[in-house]
Amino acid sequence: MNAGQQTTRRIASKAGRSICRSCRDSSKTYATAAAAVQTEDATAQHIPPVATPSQALSYAVNAGVVLSRPPVLTRDLHPFEAAFFLYQRRLNERLALPFTRYFYFKKKTPADLEWKRKIKQRLTPARDIGRYKGYGEEAWNDELLVGAPESELQHQVERLLEDAEQSGEEGKEGENGEEDTSAAMAGGKTVKHDPVERPMPRVTEADIKGDVKSLNRALPRTLYLLVKNRDGQWMFPQDKMQGRENLHMAAERILTKAGGVNMNTWVVGNQPIGHYIHDYPEQVRSSSPNPNELGFKTFFMKARIMAGQADLKNNGLGLSDFQWLAKEEVQKAVEKPYWHAIRNMLAER
Amino acid sequence: MALRDLSLRTASLFGRNARPAVHAVCPSFCRNASLEAVELETASSLEVPPPPVEAAQNFDPIARSRARRLRKKPLPPSRYQFRPPKYYRGPLHPHQPPPVSDPASRLFQPGPFSLPRLEQTYQTTIAPDLLTLTYQHYPYGFKHPKVTQRLREWTGDSPYFKGRPLRGPRGSSSLRLLTPPRTWRNVPEITKVVVHTMVPEAQENSAHLHVAGMVVQAMTNVRAQTHKSRSNVVSWGLRKDKYVSVTADVEREDTFHFLSKLVDVVLPKIKEWKGVSGTSGDGSGNISFGLTPDQVALFPEIEVNYDSYPPKMIPGCHITVQTSATNDRDALLLLQSIGIPFYGKLKD
Repeated sequence: MNAGQQTTRRIASKAGRSICRSCRDSSKTYATAAAAVQTEDATAQHIPPVATPSQALSYAVNAGVVLSRPPVLTRDLHPFEAAFFLYQRRLNERLALPFTRYFYFKKKTPADLEWKRKIKQRLTPARDIGRYKGYGEEAWNDELLVGAPESELQHQVERLLEDAEQSGEEGKEGENGEEDTSAAMAGGKTVKHDPVERPMPRVTEADIKGDVKSLNRALPRTLYLLVKNRDGQWMFPQDKMQGRENLHMAAERILTKAGGVNMNTWVVGNQPIGHYIHDYPEQVRSSSPNPNELGFKTFFMKARIMAGQADLKNNGLGLSDFQWLAKEEVQKAVEKPYWHAIRNMLAER
Repeated sequence: MALRDLSLRTASLFGRNARPAVHAVCPSFCRNASLEAVELETASSLEVPPPPVEAAQNFDPIARSRARRLRKKPLPPSRYQFRPPKYYRGPLHPHQPPPVSDPASRLFQPGPFSLPRLEQTYQTTIAPDLLTLTYQHYPYGFKHPKVTQRLREWTGDSPYFKGRPLRGPRGSSSLRLLTPPRTWRNVPEITKVVVHTMVPEAQENSAHLHVAGMVVQAMTNVRAQTHKSRSNVVSWGLRKDKYVSVTADVEREDTFHFLSKLVDVVLPKIKEWKGVSGTSGDGSGNISFGLTPDQVALFPEIEVNYDSYPPKMIPGCHITVQTSATNDRDALLLLQSIGIPFYGKLKD
């Protein structure tokens, strides 16, 4: 922790309730702070003068939490990326050094014969991107045509699964199977295919249903927790700073207060990642019990959810609903000034 | 070609004369950029519609070549058999090698082949978190004090101090790297991984070197390099100019594949392993650790055909992760976030 923060905290702890630092500096301690700075090193530390407003006017300080679930899956490749990777892999098939067989298998050993049989059946090291024939009359014909099945991701996945299922015994059966099928049947060399576990779908049930409360949706995206406050606005959970607590402690308190204890969360670091300034309208301010409060400033702390789910039952912040939304969905849910304040602290993906 | 140019030029001259009088008084040798631009073609090649779908579907190169062969009209072979020159003979030689990025080049290396999962995790999750964790806020208008001279001066009344080169820092011969204030531009990232294996037994039996090379190559997907001993060290049994070690410099895409394999497959399988020592690191953001032969054998590429390697020849290795961090604390944080465990007192 640097000296500046400690000073800030010391000043904050003296004050009864939280007000914004620049307001306080301008009202009370600016002169002393400036004097202290002057004595230290006037050239190195330059603190610009702040216009002094009337003494009591100030902003309340709120702490907000940007609770996010990081992406679980890799993103979908752009068609150009996919085509480029496929092209490079096929080029690699042509240009890679051949397999160093004689390091792994001594000549004329059973292992060597076995490898020969398998490669004869397999034809190519990489199954999913098509076979490369480097010799013969038509060796030049090594480019994929437009719409070739090898360029589709699903086809590549199927080929890989097929490869995983094959045990390498198929060629053996073929040799004596051609001679007489009855002998092969009697010999009892039946090839068993172990079913290989298929990859899970990238789209989940919650995606299909459009269940925005589930954390199991939009797996390649970062999801953010938005809550509906007393006024019916969607925003990140936030609350007034209380007593001597700092932003990190406040963030942890707000998380438990808003989402319950059934969330395993980590508040990342001690620095806020963004802020939002809200000015009260004039008539609201004059009719409020504290007319000197111009509005509030919310400082957002970053947090990650590891496990669990938000539960708004008995929450202490008067929240009525919650959603887990990706960035562009957040834009649709929140109000425009709020979006302009928060958009740069949300990850693109 | 020149004739065609000439006719174009004459045509444009006539065209220029047909323009208003202001241009007509301009003498014909007065050519400038704005006049040149008139000759440019306005049509864009992007406006040309792509070939019809049927043309792509009906295109059969094999049938075309067979038909051509039947007609006994083969393509002229020289046009399609380009071979880059083996040696670079200077910029004035007529036979120039193609650029390295051209697949026809002898130096062409294909790749990248994928967008590794670890790289995507770094971009979306790790880097923003590291930025938040290591960011240091300074008030608006704060200027960092400028340190112009980090080396010490010679103070004293000796006449020899005049004009003498400055002294190094206390306790070391070289200056440590400066850590600039953290911004979104300098979040530490992994730049390179070096896998190194030393096999002194290779001086007697070169098979050890071959096996070490194949093991390192299988682990890293990078062609291994061999190194000679630089000097005689009797106590270590080293003799000068004998091949004793193998390294592989893992860069770009391979780095992420290698590290994710290490973190997700190999390290969890090691029994009673404490982790990487927290005091590892060279002071400028590069962190090293070692694996024993048993642990190296846990790599999936080696495990799958473990029996193919000669017994007791699989070597251990040292892995150095090079990061763009300028101190060990940031590098340690990065490696921790990737999933490498550290034990003991963590180096600052």
